Amino acid sequence: MNSLERIKAALNFKQPDRVPVIAQVFGHAAILAGVALGDYARNGELLARCQLQALQFYGYDAVFALMDANVETEATGSILTYRTDQYPVVKSYVLADGTDLNTLLLPNPWQAGRMPELLKAVRILRQEVGDSVLVVGCVLGPMTLATQLLGIEAALYLAIDEPEQFAHLLGFATKIAVRFGVAQIEAGAHLPMVFEPSASPDVIPAPFYREFVLPSLNQVFTAFKQAGSAANWLHTAGPVTPILHLYPQARVDLANIDFCVDPLDAMQALPQTCLNGNIKPLAYIEAAPEEIAAESSRLLKLFANRGGFILSSGYEIPPESKPENIAAMVTAARQEK
Amino acid sequence: MMDLLVKALLDGDQAQAIIEVRKLREAGVQRRQIITGGVEAAMTQLDAKCTVEQFNLLEIMLCGRAATGVMKVLYPLGALPPQTKAAVVIGTLEGDVHDLGKNIFKMVLTAKGYRVVDCGKDCSLERLIDAVEQEAPVAAGISGLITTIIPQVLQMKDKMAERGLGHIKVIAGGAALKQATAESLKVDFIAQSAFDGLHYLDQIVGVRHE
Repeated sequence: MNSLERIKAALNFKQPDRVPVIAQVFGHAAILAGVALGDYARNGELLARCQLQALQFYGYDAVFALMDANVETEATGSILTYRTDQYPVVKSYVLADGTDLNTLLLPNPWQAGRMPELLKAVRILRQEVGDSVLVVGCVLGPMTLATQLLGIEAALYLAIDEPEQFAHLLGFATKIAVRFGVAQIEAGAHLPMVFEPSASPDVIPAPFYREFVLPSLNQVFTAFKQAGSAANWLHTAGPVTPILHLYPQARVDLANIDFCVDPLDAMQALPQTCLNGNIKPLAYIEAAPEEIAAESSRLLKLFANRGGFILSSGYEIPPESKPENIAAMVTAARQEK
Repeated sequence: MMDLLVKALLDGDQAQAIIEVRKLREAGVQRRQIITGGVEAAMTQLDAKCTVEQFNLLEIMLCGRAATGVMKVLYPLGALPPQTKAAVVIGTLEGDVHDLGKNIFKMVLTAKGYRVVDCGKDCSLERLIDAVEQEAPVAAGISGLITTIIPQVLQMKDKMAERGLGHIKVIAGGAALKQATAESLKVDFIAQSAFDGLHYLDQIVGVRHE
């Protein structure tokens, strides 16, 4: 089996030759290649080259065309600050100064901000790995993008004070996610991961998630499936156990679980959904390779009878992680019997 | 009447909370009583609720916003500020602009009677320590959502000690930092939530008062 076949087997609860391993290596690929993170986040060709080098170095099963969490908001008009050794950050949100949402244009993924560079990265990665390795794109989920257009505090207060206005904002964010994600699929991504940290239950209550977020995610994932996405991957950080049972309503095929989620709870909540996770991200910086190997082994045993599992970190592997720790996780999956 | 204020605060209903506090003042209730029996009582109830699974930042934000509105009615601009338990200096370190957790911590501490000096986000260690030196707080609180700020956190206590501030406690919180131990980050306490940090501060203040 190649990596893509292995992942598809896990997604469908079929028996892969071994459990797939997806290291959520984003900016770490730049560090590994000796490239400045600020350059990596702006240059699609450079990003793809770093990702391919990291793939060759570690031998895991997926590559990522993912810059940072600010691509969409920048393309819509927010101003970012770029730094050499860090991901860019938002300096001013496009809607924070009272700009009318109705005056904003839906960004064209082939023209706006860094979106074309990200699509270039997708195209190069797919050209290079074909259908042997999973090529993952990324869009912000509607809730997270809404908070990135207005600022998180203002967006949450808007949701309570003016729910109709917030729904309007969420609708706009949903359109951006659909358009950008479909463009990524057209450029060659096997799937765009939906990154939705602001919808975590430690930020918003579950009833809010059900009322506002779930219908938007459903729209996004339905569009992705229609465009040919290999699977719907939802990535929400934090203690997601209270909302996991809602994921099937959003058509989620693959659910990321963070380190603070008990995998047994996730298995119970999502008996027919593939799970990926959930090694603590900080461990890739602080722990010894033996500890990562032991934790990997524990997870592999835990899911051995169930299947539908991809060994992974609970969140992004921090850029400054020790390479030997990432390698220890990959080795554990490769050596698993 | 105080119950109505507490309910409005817990509901996150700022407008109703302000109505209730005005009624209380018209009835001759002292400001200090309103803070203790209303604002602090509501925070205590929210604290108890947040120990169970329903914990979420939005609920605390709404209660905190309502409490801030009440405080503005009680102490309008120019009025003498209320007496506080102690000062706390807080900030989100350089390179990190995610300050929601810090802002919520500020709301909770303010509502529970602390004077909070907020150094903002993307704040250099030097600026934070300058504020610590100037304000003589009981503790400094640093937050971080991303792991890249950890090298700064590791230097915090040593740099404070160099300036004779080694006795001041350092609390760390936020998604990245709370994965670590206090020992590994060289700080005094890791707050798993805003209320966890509050409990630690109350403990310090309590010890100091003994």
